[in-house]
Formats: sequence, C-alpha cells, structure tokens
Amino acid sequence: MKIAESFRISWRSITGHKLRSTLTTLGIILGIGAVIVFMVLGGGFEKDIIGEFEGEESTSIQVITTTESNFGQGTAQNKIYTEHDMEAIGEIDGVDWVAPDGSLQVVQLSHQGKTVTGGGAGSTFSVTATNPDRFRADLFEMTAGEPFEKGAMDQAVVNENFVKLYDGDVSVGDEVELDFRNKPSQTVTVTGIVNDDTGNGIPPRVHVDLQHYETTVQTPRGAEERAFSYLLVNAESLDQVDQVKKDIQGYFDGDSDARALKGDEQTIEAQTTEDAIEQFQQIVDQIAILLGGIAGISLIVGSIGIANIMIVSVTERTREIGIMKAVGARKRDIIQLFLVESIILGAVGAALGVITGLGIGYIGISVAGWPMAYPTTWILIAVAVGIFVGVLSGSYPAYRAARVDPIEALRRE
Amino acid sequence: MSQAEPTHRKNKVGDTDATVRFSGVQRTYYLGEPVHALDEVSLSLPEGSFTAVMGPSGSGKSTLMNMVGCLDTPDDGTVTVNGQDVGALSDGKRARLRGSELGFIFQQFNLLPRLTAAENVTLPMVFQNVVGESRRDRAKTLLARVGLGDRLDHTPPELSGGQRQRVAIARALVNEPSVILADEPTGNLDTETGSEIMELFAELHDDGSTILMVTHERHIAEHADRIIHLVDGQIEEIEHVTENPPVQGSETA
Ligand SMILES: Nc1ncnc2c1ncn2[C@@H]1O[C@H](COP(=O)(O)OP(=O)(O)OP(=O)(O)O)[C@@H](O)[C@H]1O
Ligand SMILES: [Mg+2]
Repeated sequence: MKIAESFRISWRSITGHKLRSTLTTLGIILGIGAVIVFMVLGGGFEKDIIGEFEGEESTSIQVITTTESNFGQGTAQNKIYTEHDMEAIGEIDGVDWVAPDGSLQVVQLSHQGKTVTGGGAGSTFSVTATNPDRFRADLFEMTAGEPFEKGAMDQAVVNENFVKLYDGDVSVGDEVELDFRNKPSQTVTVTGIVNDDTGNGIPPRVHVDLQHYETTVQTPRGAEERAFSYLLVNAESLDQVDQVKKDIQGYFDGDSDARALKGDEQTIEAQTTEDAIEQFQQIVDQIAILLGGIAGISLIVGSIGIANIMIVSVTERTREIGIMKAVGARKRDIIQLFLVESIILGAVGAALGVITGLGIGYIGISVAGWPMAYPTTWILIAVAVGIFVGVLSGSYPAYRAARVDPIEALRRE
Repeated sequence: MSQAEPTHRKNKVGDTDATVRFSGVQRTYYLGEPVHALDEVSLSLPEGSFTAVMGPSGSGKSTLMNMVGCLDTPDDGTVTVNGQDVGALSDGKRARLRGSELGFIFQQFNLLPRLTAAENVTLPMVFQNVVGESRRDRAKTLLARVGLGDRLDHTPPELSGGQRQRVAIARALVNEPSVILADEPTGNLDTETGSEIMELFAELHDDGSTILMVTHERHIAEHADRIIHLVDGQIEEIEHVTENPPVQGSETA
C-alpha cells in the first residue's frame, strides 16, 4: 500500500474520533508546549541580558565571592575585600582604577517634598558608596551630568531607575535627602544620572562618595579597616584584561586579607564580562537540562496515552481489520495503517505543542518586555520527538492489529 | 419448491478449466472432541459457473468459503485457486491472491463505516497499489452498474441494507476477480430486496463471473446452476438446477 493512501485512511479515522484524538495528544501537546514556552522565555531573557554586552568588549573585571551549596552556586555578600586589598590591586600592572561597592542602608528618601520609604532587604534603599572612577567603567553610561567629586559628601549620582521612581521628575542639580538608619540624615545634590542597567533587577540606586562608608572589619594583620563585598576593577586596555584578571586572581589566591576572611566554602573570583556571560549561559543550560527531564517524563506519559488509545482502537476495529484483510490487505499494510495513525497523532500533537508553546511564550515575553526568541532547534527536536513517540507507541498496537485473524474478526457479531 | 430436477451425480474432479479445485480437503478443529468442519471434500468450480452451497448449521459451509477465499488453509489435501496451491503460499502472497482473484460478499455487508461508497468500492485497489483518478471512474462505473450511480459519496450509515449490499457487490467486482464468494448475501435483507440482489447475481453470472454462494434458502439457491449439499463437513450430493426461477418483480432476466 502506498504511504499516501495510509495517510488518507488514517487521517479519516483520527478525524472520525475528534474528541478522543484530542485527548490522546494532550499529553504530547502539554509536554512539548512546556519545553517551547521555557525555551522562548529563556531565549528572550538571554537575548535581553547578553544583548547588552554583545559585540562590546569590556575592560571591566568584577571581583565577587561565590558560595557552593547544595542548592547550586550563589553570590555571597560577605565584606572581605579590605582597603589593603584594594590598594594592592591598584598596584598591579595594567590596572587603571579600583572601585568598591559599599552598601549603605537608607530608610527614607526625600526629593522635592516627596518621601519614599525603602522596601528592600531590611526595608532599606540600596545606596552605594563608591569612588567616582566607577562611572568611567564601560559598563555604565552617564546619561546626564557628571560623576560626583571625589571626597564630596554632599554630592550623588542616581541611576535611571531612581529617576523612574520619581516619574522622571529628577534632574541634575536637584537635592535629595537621605535618611540613614544609623547616622544623621544627609542632603546631597545630584551631579549626574547613570545608566547602570546591565540586565534585569537593578533597583533604584543612589551612588555617593566612599567617605560615607564606615563598616570596618578586623583584618588578619590586626588592623581595623573598611571592607567591601565587591570590587570593580578596570584594566588600562583591552589587551591587558586577561593578564590583569589572572594577576588579580593570583593576588587573592595568595596572601590577601580576603582569602583569610572568606568562609571555607567560599571562592573568590575575578570575572571579566565574558566570564559573567559564560556563567550565565551555564545556568540557562542547566535549567534546560532540568526542563528536558520534565519534558521527557511528560512525553513518556503522552506516549503511554497514545499506545493505550491505539490498543483500544485495534480491539474496537477488529472487524474493520478483518474486512481489510479479506479485500487483500497484507500484514504490512495493516501495520503501516496503524503506525501512520500513531505517527500522525504524535506529530500533530508535537506541532500543536509547538504552536501553543510559542503562543504562551510570546505572551510571557511581551509581559516581561524581552525580545522574542524562536528556539528553532528545539522546534525541530520537538517534531522529531513527536514522530518518535508515534512510532514507539504505535508499534505494539500495530503488531497486534496485523495478527488479527480475519475469519474470527468477520465472524464477530 | 421442487421444480428443479435433482440429478444425483457425484462431483467429478479434474476439469482442466476449473477456477477453483479442492481435492481431499480436510479441516479439523480440536476442542476436546475433534470437529471435522470439512472432511475429505473434493470439488471444482468451472470458470463461469454459479454454485450454491446449502446445509444445516455447522455443516462446514463457511469453512468451505474461507478455504476458497484464501482466508483459511487445509490441514490435509489441496486447494488451488487459478492454478495456485493456496496452502503453499506465504501469508503475504495469499493476501495478494485474495485481493486480486477473489471478491467477498458477506451477510453483514462488512463495509468500512467511515469511508464513502466510492472509497469502499475502491479499497481493494488501494491494497493492490492501483493509483490515480482511474479509481474514482472505476467506482462510478461499478456503482452505476449496481444501481447506485447517485450515491458515490454516501457513507454506509447513510444507506439502506439493500444499498449497502450493492456497494459490497461493487467492491467484490472492482479487481475483476476470478471468483465471487457470497456467504448468505440475502440473509440480512427482506424478501423483496433479496430478490433484487439475486437479480444482480444473475446478471453477473450472465456476464461470465464464477460465483460461489452459501444460502439457507432454497429459492435463493435455485438461481445457481448447481447446489452442493453439505452435511457434517462432507458433500452429501451435488444437485444440478435445470431451470432458474424467474426473478421476482422483474421479467427482464
Ligand atoms: N474457530 C473454530 N474453532 C472451533 N470450531 C470451529 C471453528 N470454526 C468453525 N468451527 C466448527 O466447524 C464446524 C463448521 O463450521 P462452519 O462455520 O463452517 O459452519 P456453517 O455451515 O457455516 O454454519 P452456519 O450455517 O451456522 O453458518 C462447526 O461445527 C463449528 O463449530
Ligand atoms: Mg456460516
């Protein structure tokens, strides 16, 4: 029998039982739909973040502390990078400048009489004490004004999300009152606005001079020194980035304050922008593997569903099989008919899953404001898997159908 | 009832132009006691002959039909269809022979319910890999021949019993088979519709088809040239019908 003929006949029996066929393919639709939704969202998210850096090589190197735990890798906020460490790094060949991140806790902000109360961890705003070099990093872009003067306690740079917090009603020269949790409040003048959006989740932020920062730790050398949870280092040129990164890593692996202060399970890492993207990519890949597992389970369930319905269908159509054999159908014709039917169910289920997944993914992406990503490879894999599931789940029922004895089948009332 | 002159002749084996030949065919079912469904049956169906099979329930009529129809094979003896030894053929070859040389007509019509009349008629062509538009034309011609030229695209549930049997007859003819097999073709039909169907059989016979038909009803059997009487799997007698009855409600035959 010609393949096209079996498609025609099988399609007829699928559409003859619309509800049943739909329910049968539901498992496949859901399984594949879920994968595609994730791939669209993940792809969009990735594009959104990586798109920021793509093509732009950066001279920035971040020094962060990572924690290895049962739940995977996280970033620790321990204040282990001392001023001594900062100075030592500043002396490394090829280092242009070093800027720390000193987080200050501000309970309330007032601007032009409008007071906003913090809602972050400990109901505070993130106000970062740093030095103005930081705004020279190619990760950031001053969209208005200029960095504050080094050592000026009454100046600040705010980010764009901060401007948004005040509905755009913030400009250079405005005054903002910072109500600290543990010291007298301070009025600062905005000298500039920075775009520090390197991805998602950057909160409204005020950057002030390092002088505001007073948190100290006891260093292993016995001194009392200010310490930070993060350092941003800039190399003098792109050619030097890799060497500088190695030297920084070397310093921290050697006789540094940070190494002595960090926890046992913590690791100090000097990362270039490239490293950060790579690490992010790894996380996305890990989630993809996890999702692949979930999809695999739902596909197994889906194929059991198809097999189940096909077996019922063989029993129900025993007489029809007998008729077809009486008019000249060979075993292989019957096998072909039933396999084609289950392959159609699998493939159509996969196609509907892809469409559903793209649709829901598109809605999700629109809500999140990410760019649309079409996971072409996954779409092809999904359709291939659908066909494979069809073959797998149709084989046994088709074999049973082929073995139907036409005499018995036709004798049935 | 007895206008046919019974001629008590034993079947002669060995006609050279026979389409179907049985020699010493044995078919036994073992369910505790062995049941001889067919016991040493020898017969032949000459080309163009119309043979009826009668006998009590369980006498082996359907078993005989299944043998001719290549659905069953003998435990002993040989069955040849168009010169081919059915028992020696592979499963696939037997299916092919069934599709090309035999046409089945059943008591329960046995059409595929989701296919249209035309598609049912051409189904045997599908399994013989006949393709193209010619198939639709063929269905049209055959359905017109059985008086259903205007019902091509109706599905079986939309047709009456008599109409369904006509579709089944058209289907049996589609591959120009050597033998047409009919197992109680009028069994599910009222007398009038049954007569119309027998009229069609008479036409097929006139056109030279070889027909083997099982029936319980004497007046149906009398449309044939001869009647084989089966009892307990054995041929009791072969009766030659000298005068076929006029077809009810029509004098055109
Ligand atoms: N599959 C089977 N298993 C066991 N015995 C069988 C089987 N098929 C037929 N028989 C037996 O073989 C004998 C002949 O059966 P067959 O169906 O040929 O009778 P029949 O003449 O067609 O009867 P009816 O007029 O009732 O259709 C019966 O005794 C029946 O019980
Ligand atoms: Mg019978």
